[in-house]
Amino acid sequence: MSEHNTDTTTRSDTDEQSAEQRRSWTESSGSGTVNIQDLTKVYGDDGDELVAVDGMDLHIEAEEFVTVLGPSGCGKSTVMECIAGYLDPTEGEVLVNDEPVEGPDPSRGVVFQENRLFPWKTISENVRFGPQMRDDVDESRVASLFDQMGLSGFEDAYPHELSGGMQQRAELARLLANDPDIMLMDEPFSGLDAMTKELMQEKLLDVWEDDDRTVLFITHDVEEAILLADRVVVMTARPGQVKDVIDVDLERPRSTDIVTTDRFNELQRRASESIHDEAERAMEQAEGRV
Amino acid sequence: MSTGSISDRLVEGFAGGLPSPTRGVRKLVSLVGFVAVWWLFYEFGVLNFEHFVSPVTTIVEFAGALAGQPLTEGGDTIYLHAVYSGARVAVGVVAAALLAIPLGLVVGTSDRWENLLYPALEALRPIPPISWLPIAIIVFPALALGSISVPLPALFVVFIGSFFPIFTNTIEGARTIETEYGQAARSLGAGSGDVFRHVVLPATLPSIITGLSLGVGLGWITVVAAELLTGGPGLGYIIIQGSRLLQNQVVVIGMLAVGALGYATSALVEALGNWLMPWSTE
Repeated sequence: MSEHNTDTTTRSDTDEQSAEQRRSWTESSGSGTVNIQDLTKVYGDDGDELVAVDGMDLHIEAEEFVTVLGPSGCGKSTVMECIAGYLDPTEGEVLVNDEPVEGPDPSRGVVFQENRLFPWKTISENVRFGPQMRDDVDESRVASLFDQMGLSGFEDAYPHELSGGMQQRAELARLLANDPDIMLMDEPFSGLDAMTKELMQEKLLDVWEDDDRTVLFITHDVEEAILLADRVVVMTARPGQVKDVIDVDLERPRSTDIVTTDRFNELQRRASESIHDEAERAMEQAEGRV
Repeated sequence: MSTGSISDRLVEGFAGGLPSPTRGVRKLVSLVGFVAVWWLFYEFGVLNFEHFVSPVTTIVEFAGALAGQPLTEGGDTIYLHAVYSGARVAVGVVAAALLAIPLGLVVGTSDRWENLLYPALEALRPIPPISWLPIAIIVFPALALGSISVPLPALFVVFIGSFFPIFTNTIEGARTIETEYGQAARSLGAGSGDVFRHVVLPATLPSIITGLSLGVGLGWITVVAAELLTGGPGLGYIIIQGSRLLQNQVVVIGMLAVGALGYATSALVEALGNWLMPWSTE
């Protein structure tokens, strides 16, 4: 964690640089960089193979917020599972802090599409789970997380007793209690109603702006992708590759009000155009026409 | 009437607005009705019921048995028979659980162990437990703890009967755990031992409790079957002994005692489940 301070200064420097330069700094070794090199993932055996990802390259800077926008079934979750360490790439590799990923690690926290709080543990037990695995529960940190996430008073509740929005906040608290360098989020808000989703997006932006973390956030929602990101990575339909990278030069800190500005609309139009053909192809794949 | 369930109101509609009795009264009607039908069958000789026993005689003798009178001439009390059968069920089911739960967890979570264990056990599963009795009588030596003889063959039959429901339910529960729970735990820093303790075990617990509940039921079924053949003391023995002595009230008393104890033990398992799973919504 000692490298965090240096990262913070690097970040304010890089903000001044053009995004082009930022991406070329592949030699950076701050905590939280992700380097995806020629990643290919093939499911199944001979004769019944499915190429989910085909030769994908992507570099994510430490403390960068990257959203991955792609049509359904384009392999974006596969990419995330390779970074999380749940899957081994068929070819190519995933480097985190310049080291190849070998299995899951608490420095890479994951939030799933469906709520995965442990139903058999109370909210407090869930939030403490990560630190407890290392016998290192910081009570004041846990308390401040409960406060920050608006969960105070629900310590002893079980997940099913909470609303969808509260469950999401509890899952975010469980992740943050572990203080990960990288947060991997796979369409975490897709199951929420519009209002709750907006609040969760603002919560996530707050959290990210407070701490120094890298975020890889997968979504199929164009507006969400732009609202949150420094860069939006548009993926092709299966087999997944990077189709387009859109730099989001909107000022920070952001709130959801920003979606009405001209610049936002311009970026949104560009992303929509980029993903449109891919979504069409993905739909044809799903209907078995390809 | 605005209160009451929909079915109450429907019945009320059919009954043309007769006063609806309370829940307690209806349950009493059910029990009294059962005894009344039995009495009618006995009194009017429906089938060969006139050779059976009147409910009145049975109830009087049941009361006597509960007061501690021996069930048959010079025999033991109902309590002693119940204790023997209950102990056999308890020992058989606990032994089955101690083996079936770990095996089920291993088979349910590991392909290698599944390949090694599952085919043989699956082949044994359809065999009715009581048909193991002849083998059990031959292979198990006579065993006594002090003055009490331990009926290993009967215990083995109970063990076999309750093993499979516990085993198969545990496997099913362990197999159907959502993999993302394990992934989430590992990404939070859990090792495989932690995943087992904090994810696999609690996630399988509801299925284990279901298996135990079925296993205890099978335990009572098999203990009565075994005691019919191997002798007493025990409630199964009392049932066959009553029949041999043409004391049909003793047969019925034995049956009712098994029913009541089966009901009580399954309530006990349910209570155990609620205590172990405070998160459960039921």
